[in-house]
This record gives sequence, C-alpha cells and structure tokens, in this order.
Amino acid sequence: MKNLGRIGRSRAPMAGSSQMPGSPQMPGSPQMPGSPQMPGSPQMPGSPQMPGNIQMSGNTRRFSETCMAVATWAAACLTLGILVFLVGFILVRGIPYITPSLFAFTYTSDNVSLMPALISTLFMTVLALLIAVPFGVFSAIYLVEYARRGNKFVSFVRTTTETLSGIPSIVYGLFGLLFFVTFLGWGFSVLAGAFTLAIMILPLVMRSSEEALKAVPDAYREGAFGLGAGRLRTVFRIVIPPAMPGILAGIILAVGRIVGETAALIYTAGTVAQIPASPAQSARTLSVHMYALTSEGFYMNEGYATAVVLLVLVVLINTGSAMLAKRIGRGRKG
Amino acid sequence: MARSLAGFIRGLTLGVLTGGVLAVTVGLTGCIAAGPFEAQKPVSVVSREDGSGTRSTFVDLFDIVEKTPEGGKKDRTTKEAVIANQTGIMMTHIDGNTHSIGYISLGSLNDTVKALEIDGIMPSPAAVKEGNYPVSRSFYVATKGDPTGLTKDFIDFILSAEGQDVVGKGYIALDDSAPAYTGDRPGGRIVIAGSSSVTPVMEKLKEAYQALNTSAVIEIQMTDSSSGMTSAIEGTCDIGMSSRALKESELEDLKPAKIALDGIAIIVNKKNPITSLTQAQVKSIFTGETKRWDAVLL
Amino acid sequence: MGCGAAMNALREKVMRGVFMTAALVSILAVALICVFLFANGLPVLGKIGIFNFLLGQEWSPADDPQVFGILPMILGSLYVTAGAIVVGVPIGILTAVFLARVCPAKMYAMIKPGIDLLAGIPSVVYGFFGMAVIVPLAGNSILAASLLLGVMILPTIITLAESSLRAVPQSYYEGALALGAGHYRSVFRILLPAAKSGILAAVILGIGRAIGETMAVIMVAGNQARIPGSPFQGVRTLTANIVIEMGYAAEMHREALIATGVVLFVFILLINLSFSALKRRMD
Repeated sequence: MKNLGRIGRSRAPMAGSSQMPGSPQMPGSPQMPGSPQMPGSPQMPGSPQMPGNIQMSGNTRRFSETCMAVATWAAACLTLGILVFLVGFILVRGIPYITPSLFAFTYTSDNVSLMPALISTLFMTVLALLIAVPFGVFSAIYLVEYARRGNKFVSFVRTTTETLSGIPSIVYGLFGLLFFVTFLGWGFSVLAGAFTLAIMILPLVMRSSEEALKAVPDAYREGAFGLGAGRLRTVFRIVIPPAMPGILAGIILAVGRIVGETAALIYTAGTVAQIPASPAQSARTLSVHMYALTSEGFYMNEGYATAVVLLVLVVLINTGSAMLAKRIGRGRKG
Repeated sequence: MARSLAGFIRGLTLGVLTGGVLAVTVGLTGCIAAGPFEAQKPVSVVSREDGSGTRSTFVDLFDIVEKTPEGGKKDRTTKEAVIANQTGIMMTHIDGNTHSIGYISLGSLNDTVKALEIDGIMPSPAAVKEGNYPVSRSFYVATKGDPTGLTKDFIDFILSAEGQDVVGKGYIALDDSAPAYTGDRPGGRIVIAGSSSVTPVMEKLKEAYQALNTSAVIEIQMTDSSSGMTSAIEGTCDIGMSSRALKESELEDLKPAKIALDGIAIIVNKKNPITSLTQAQVKSIFTGETKRWDAVLL
Repeated sequence: MGCGAAMNALREKVMRGVFMTAALVSILAVALICVFLFANGLPVLGKIGIFNFLLGQEWSPADDPQVFGILPMILGSLYVTAGAIVVGVPIGILTAVFLARVCPAKMYAMIKPGIDLLAGIPSVVYGFFGMAVIVPLAGNSILAASLLLGVMILPTIITLAESSLRAVPQSYYEGALALGAGHYRSVFRILLPAAKSGILAAVILGIGRAIGETMAVIMVAGNQARIPGSPFQGVRTLTANIVIEMGYAAEMHREALIATGVVLFVFILLINLSFSALKRRMD
C-alpha cells in the first residue's frame, strides 16, 4: 500500500519533462497484457484529444502531460479546498457556542444540552451493533467458510446484500415506521430505531467481515484441518483471530453510519430529548438532535456547536478504524 | 535530501493553492450573500409545506385557499414557491436571499429577518392580543375524551396563572386573569406529541410544571399538528399539540383546549426596504400574481 | 471418545445451521422490506391509476379533490442525480488518480484522513453548509443541489476509484513507461482503462448515494412540486417528497408517499441490476 503511494513522486507538479520515475521495488515482470491502445478507453475530462499511438512528438507529449498533470492537481486541490472550507465553516460557526451548559446532564429548553442525545447515540449504537454484528459476522462465516464457492445460494445472498446496501435511508425509515413502529406496535422507540439501523448496517458488516475472512490464507485452514481440528474449531480458533481487525474496522464504519443517520431515525426512534430509561422509550441521537434544534429557528448556533461535536466524533471513529487497518497491515507482514 | 526538499515544495504549493481556494470561497460567499436589493428583481416566495399548521393558518387567513365550483378547495400558493419544511430553514433562506419573502410564527421571530406591517399594523404580542393584527391563530392541546390524572393536572397548570405566565414569555397568553394553579400534583408519566411550533413553549411549560410536581415524567415528541392529533386519537400519546384549529373529523374523538395565541409574521430579508404590505398584496405575492418587488414598493 | 465425537459432529451441524440462518437474515430483510412497502404502497396505485401517479404533473395533497402525480419528483431526482454525477465524477476520479499515483506518501498520510472525514460528515451538516454557502450563490435550484450532492458523493467515488486503481498490476504502468509514455499518460491511458470496472462500481455507488440523499437535499433544492424549466429553478426529489410530507399524511396521502418510496426502491433495484449486468459483460 505505502509503496504504491510513493510511485511517481519524483515528478514535479507541472513539469513536462519525460524523465522516468524509478520504481526500484518492483519485480522485473515486463509482461503487458493487451496493447497500450485500449479499446474503448474513456476520454478523461481535462485530458486533451489524443491520437491512439502512445508515442508521439515531443511537444504534443509534453503538452498533454502538462494538461493531465494540471487536471489532476487541480481536482485534488479542489477536493482539499472543499474539505478545508467545509470543516472550517462548521468550526467557525460552532466553536464559539460550545459551552459547558451544552454538556449538562439533562436537557432543558434553556441549555439545549446535547448530553442526552450523546448518550442516546451510544445506546442506539450499542443496541444496533448487538443485533447486526452477530448476524453479519455469522453470515460472512457461512458464505466464506461453509458454502461452496460459486454456489447459487451464495450469489443470491450476495445480491440481496448489495440490494440492502443500495436502499436509501429514507426507505429504511419508511419500512421501520411500517413494520417496527406500526405493525409490531413498538411505537417510536430506541428499539425500533436500533432494529432499523441494524438492517441498514448489516450489509456493511457482512461485506467487511467477508473480505477479512477471505484475506486469511488458505494455508491456515489446511494446517488446522491437517492437525485434525473440526471446521468449527478452525473457524473460531484459527481463521477469526487474524480476521478480527478487518471485522472490527467494518464495525467501526457501521458506527460512523449510525452516528450520521437522521432520515431513518426520525420516523422510528422519534425525537424525545431525554436519556431513555428503557429501549421501549423514544430518544434522539446527535444528528437528530441537530436537526431538531434548528427546526424552530431558536437554536441555530447550538445546532452548529452540535455539528462540531459530531465532527469530533467522526474523527475519533475514523482514527479508530485507521489504527485497526494499520494493525492488519502489520499483522500481514509479520 | 533533494527528494524531501521537492516533497516540501510540493506540499507548500498544495498548501498555498488550498489557502487560495479557501480565501476566494470565503470572499465570494461574503460578497454574494450580501447582494444588494434591486426592486426590479423577481420575488422569491418561500412557503411551508402542505399540511403544516403554520401554512394552513396562513393560507386560510389570506384567502389563498379557494373553494372550487365543485365544492372542493384549492391551495393557490404558487408552485414556484420554495418549500421550507422547518421554521429554522425558512429563516436561513430569508436571511440568505435578498429578494425572498416568507412567514413564521411570531414566537420564532428574531433579528436575522425583518417582519412586515400588515395593513399598517406591526405584529407584536400586544397587537395580537387586542385583535388588531389580522394574522393570528391559537395553539391547542387535545386529549381523547376528558383528561384525567396527570394529563388533567398538567392541562390545568397550563391554563392557570403560572402556566399562562410561562406562555406569555415567548408567545401570547390567552388571559391575564387566569386562576392560580391548585392541582393535586399526581405522579406518573405522560407523552405529549405534535406541532413543532407548539413544542418550544410546551418544553418551557413542562419544565415549570415539573418544578412544582417533581414526581411527574413528561415526554415531548416533536412531530407536527396532524400527526399529533392522529397519535392522540390512536392513544400513542396522552396529549396532542396543534398549531391550527382541529378539523371536524378530529373533533369527533378529541377534546381540544386553547392554550396560547400566536401571530404569523410575514418576513423579508433585512436589506429589503419594504416595511408594509396589505393583505391583498400578500395574497397576490403568494399566489404568484405579483412577480416583482417594484409592483408592491411605492 | 465415541460420545465426544458424536457431540462434536452435532455441534458442527448445529453451528452450521446457525451460520446458515444468519445468512438468511439479509434475504429475510429484503423480503420484509418488499412486502411491507409494496403492501402499503401498491393498493393506492389502483385508486389513483398507475399512469396518473407516475406521469401526473401535479401534486396537491392538500386540495380537495387531492391530486397525486409524481412525475416532477421523478424528474427532479433524475436531474439532481445527473448534476451530481457531472460535478462529482470527474473531480472524484481525478482526485483518486492523484491519491493513487501522484501524491507523495507524506501528503497522502495527510489527505486520506481528510477524505475519510468528508465521508463521515452527517448529511444534516452538509445541508446546513449548503444552505448557508451554496444557496446564496446558486439559489434554491437544481444547480445548488447538484453542487452539494456532487461534493457529498466525492468521498465514495474517490475511495473506491482509488482502491481499484491500486489494484491494477504495477507491470501495466511500467510497460507503458517502457514504451515511452510519460507518467500521466501511462496513468490515464493504461491504468484508468484497466481499472474501469472498479471505477464504474464507484460511480454506481455514487449514483445510489445521490438519488437516496434526503436531509441535505431538502435544504437546498427548493422542493417545488412542479417540473423545472431550467437548472436555476428549484426542484423536489422523491426522497424530499417523502420526508417533507410524511408527518402530516393520512390515508390516501400517506399511501401515496409510501408508493413514492416504492418507486425509489424500484429505481435502486434497477440501478443495481443494470450494474451487475454491466459488470458481467465487462468481465
């Protein structure tokens, strides 16, 4: 991963020189499937008209190289600019309004504390994970360790998982409202919200667990079978431990999705600003809290302050998953 | 060494470019958000969504809803109107768009936008109470059948001198000579659901009541007037909140109580020089007949 | 010993069943979603008439008689999504190229967490940003919604396109260089085409995110339920239609909104199906 990131670093941003970037760490496999003229290669926006041949006169080449370099750098700068501006905007609007009373233990209409929402967010997250993770991980185990590859059932499960991951959150919200809230009669409650979210994050947990299990070399399994271990023992003792960081990274991504969700929760968990005493009560998460704060126009500033807290939360979650990802990398090398 | 230097230079370039992008964007935003008012520009109408209590009061009071010859009714709010589904969104829109016009609850009015006089009368709690300001409505709570226990005690509190005092701080009290609260302060837990316009004042009422009755647990579910009434009928909440008069179908099951008065303020951007509109002009703007500001500016 | 072996065999069997049941849950979930959405949304189509519903140009649930036509919202979702693709895809792919092939490692370590942060920002926050920054510039319009959604789908496209670019064997790149192509030319003419299936997947996911986005779009799109005449006019998307009115809706209106959800669901299914078909053809 890291090595690849360094490729091409010897080139200055706008330089048109044709000097070759060195690639010392590559095995000398010069094999090139297909001719360089790829049929139907997409015309990149920003790249100039090009004749099919890869070799051309020095000037044209230098010009097209420069154009592509400019386009690439411009896009990267734009993305970065948007990022800096967006984050800066939220920080500038929100930080002045972060006060100790915003973290008071109970919500009142004077302090508009986000503490109950923060605690509800944790509560909701834990509950949704408790429901989704066992199913997600177990089904990944089935797909990778038990089912025969290329099995019809496997591809069907995979299609449904892809369908689930494509469903917009508002449709999940509608479904939660129709099924958990109305049909099962749970009312607006943390439980209804958590179940809705659990279905929403199920494909994420499943996919990442599947990838993590697949990444465990077959030699591990063969070794365990060779020593007479059963399939179950092999899975739990041999395959899952090295796959753990990958599974956890997926779970952390799911946490991020839960924290950011609003549309699916308004119609399932409701908007009561309190620390729920039981899963049968209604509560609002931080994102919903922010939405509710700004709804009557009274607490716009506190809304931005809540956004800052949300940002911090997202950064923490991302750092956690990045650290885990790093551990996978190290684990593989070692 | 050379490599790290090159890397440093590249980092610097990127940093400078990013800074440039940032500066330009900030500058641009500052300029355009502060665009000047031009009377020949079209009016940008902002409305609340169909079903909102604020909208239904607004369109009723300005005769924007019209009876059709077949006995039905038609909301003639222009289809070009931007729909803001929250008061906060409405106010941010008006604040950010020099040529816009919208309407909000008087209780939510603040200095980011400018309220207009209607027929020469400035919206204010006093004007609403005396009945001079033409665009006003009442807030209601509704219960299924006669309220009992904690529900009854809380509603009694709202209508008492103490409760109306709380109402009067943001909205408009019904009656200055309400009797003092003399309830028996029963314990228990009730759920109140409904109008987002009523929710802020209900939160204040709940806090004041809980100071008197510490054994009461009150949950407030912010939805909207219609679903508040539906929840009250279905029994999923004990008290429904509404920012509009109850419909006949709702009155079959529910007992309403008027708890507060509220005005609806017509708001424009602060750069707009206009200070007053007539009811007919407001109607003509919101139905899309008046398209430009110079038609109503003298 | 024999007893232990039998126990083990039993345990194996039971756990196998447990795992398989877990795998069935996602199928069950999709089935439940279909059943509940369709059962609640389809009957109303019979009353309104499916063509009146899909091709009707007027949506006036508050009128008497009520009118439910969602063509403006269908077009709205399509316009806004197309706009988001126009804005987000070129920038996203170019940024992915930058991250995968141009960016020095140290800078990468700084930028990558930023992209992840962009992905993690809740859509409500994007919405407020759009309302305070983009709307004053572009008005409540298709343009504003496209710009905002274009930004929102950037992290999805960047992350997936980057990993598919990295998955192309290094030998492709070196071969191009050996043939005398410059660095960027090798990347754009050889690596990008080789990664096209992954990049297509990135774009499809971006489309899915754009068409399903709700909270942010409501704040910038204007939400007018009529067919827009230009990109500078406002528009209402399918998702916005549901969120704005669901709270108030009763009876027929409520069912019409659920039917709107069904239409959205079918859209997503179609996108997914055409994507798998495309992928199969490309492989």
